[in-house]
Amino acid sequence: MLASSVRLARRSFATVVDTAGLKVAALDANQPTVAITILAKAGPRYQSKPGVAHALKNFAFKSTADRSALGTVRESELYGGVLSSTLSREHLALTAEFLRGDEQYFVDVLASVIASTEFHRHEFEELVLPTIEGEVNALHADPATHAIELAHALAFRNGLGASLFAAPHTPITAEDVAQFAAQAFSKGNFAVLGTGISQSALSSLVSNALAVDSNAPKPPTTTASSYFGGETRVETHGTPQTIFIGFGAAGAPAPELAALAAYLDPNPSVKWARSASPMLQAEKTSVQAVYLPYSDAALVGLLIQAPTAAAVREAGKAAVAALKGTSGVKTEELKSAIAKAKFRLASSADGRAGVVEVLGSKVLTGASETSLEASLSALDKVTSAGFTKAATSLVKSKPTYVALGDTQSLPYADELGL
Amino acid sequence: MAGPLGLSLAPYIRSSPTLTKLFTPVAKWYAGGSLYRQYGLLYDDLLIEERPEVQKALSRLTPREAYDRAFRIKRASHADVLHEPLPRELWTKPEQDIRYLLPHVETVVEEIKEREKWDTLEVKRTR
Repeated sequence: MLASSVRLARRSFATVVDTAGLKVAALDANQPTVAITILAKAGPRYQSKPGVAHALKNFAFKSTADRSALGTVRESELYGGVLSSTLSREHLALTAEFLRGDEQYFVDVLASVIASTEFHRHEFEELVLPTIEGEVNALHADPATHAIELAHALAFRNGLGASLFAAPHTPITAEDVAQFAAQAFSKGNFAVLGTGISQSALSSLVSNALAVDSNAPKPPTTTASSYFGGETRVETHGTPQTIFIGFGAAGAPAPELAALAAYLDPNPSVKWARSASPMLQAEKTSVQAVYLPYSDAALVGLLIQAPTAAAVREAGKAAVAALKGTSGVKTEELKSAIAKAKFRLASSADGRAGVVEVLGSKVLTGASETSLEASLSALDKVTSAGFTKAATSLVKSKPTYVALGDTQSLPYADELGL
Repeated sequence: MAGPLGLSLAPYIRSSPTLTKLFTPVAKWYAGGSLYRQYGLLYDDLLIEERPEVQKALSRLTPREAYDRAFRIKRASHADVLHEPLPRELWTKPEQDIRYLLPHVETVVEEIKEREKWDTLEVKRTR
């Protein structure tokens, strides 16, 4: 009843392959600003050397054949635009956000960044390495992100297990980054996504600005993911005690897993409300359901943080009970979990970043169906039996368990009943 | 006329083939006659380094270049203390005398100029 009465505005997210062999997709909902993203399959999953993807992310918008790093920044400031680069495990996104009318300039900036960044050694040492170091320091100050990083390394080992962050004293050089960039931005390995701009306008701009080099090196490769699991404990100081309990599955992420993550999430939908979930009984405990879908694997779990190890232990026991007790799911509980999962998916696709996240990867893999409806209707088809089957087979696999903080008193996986 | 490190007639001379032809032997003779090659130094070791552009350029040398530079300067200082040039086989050969530092200095000067340009930019609306 609930699900079917929600009518969705049709989002047409057409994909074209223009003459240069580039995938271009655009979505115009009459926003006041335009965002153009170059999405490349150049995440750490595809990297040739550890940390090179992180370095390439930070090398974006440095000196090119057309303008220097300073010139790019100052000129974009004059237009009032924002340039950013973001890295996920599979994709590297270079984004320019700007006012309508400035498309020509910003497409030119993005084109020169991917075609003619010069990868100077002194820029690598003076501009890129300090930002890498800063981001690594920020990672170590944030136990939640750190735990998810460690969980990926345990769960998938190689490929998806590669860290988003370079090591603090990374041995990579500017030449390594240049080589990886040449691979990353080779033909067919990246797509151009636009929001607030029409498909035809973007296509013509991109085909004028971007000449894909046909004798560029082959795109980077990766192997299919498989799930391993395991346990790790890292001693840290002055941070909330953190544990991550999760399970992974190889293969295209099933909609049941998204529903499972929504079902496990103990947080109330109303701000400041007190949750009845046994996971959230201790003071100042935070529990987040983690659902990270990738092109050929997914990680589902619960991230538990509390000031004391004892509170973490209590919440952890409740979390394991919740993970293992999905067989007795009631129909109405499942329905609300599905609705929650659908809302999360739909609301994330509302923002610009969400559009790139949800639809960009589909464009890049050449999927014919690039609309949001397909993902939402897949969630609608989740049945109670299918949910239970997916959940039990997930929990049967070896758990991924990460403990971060006071390792003397934080529980071990077997103490929680895993 | 004025290069990054002071006044220089070299660009003007290089721009004219006749002058280049005329001055090249003189320049070679002059460089050979200056004692820095006999002390195992390269010309760029003599650039005045007490200035921010050159300091920045020095920070951009590869570790190998920086080490070699320090070695040459140390060796020349020692020879200077002994009041005697190095043995002839250690003299810098003309083909070894490359400008390893000047390109870096020029890049730094360009960067400083560009920053000044952007800092003092006058923005005019055209549309």
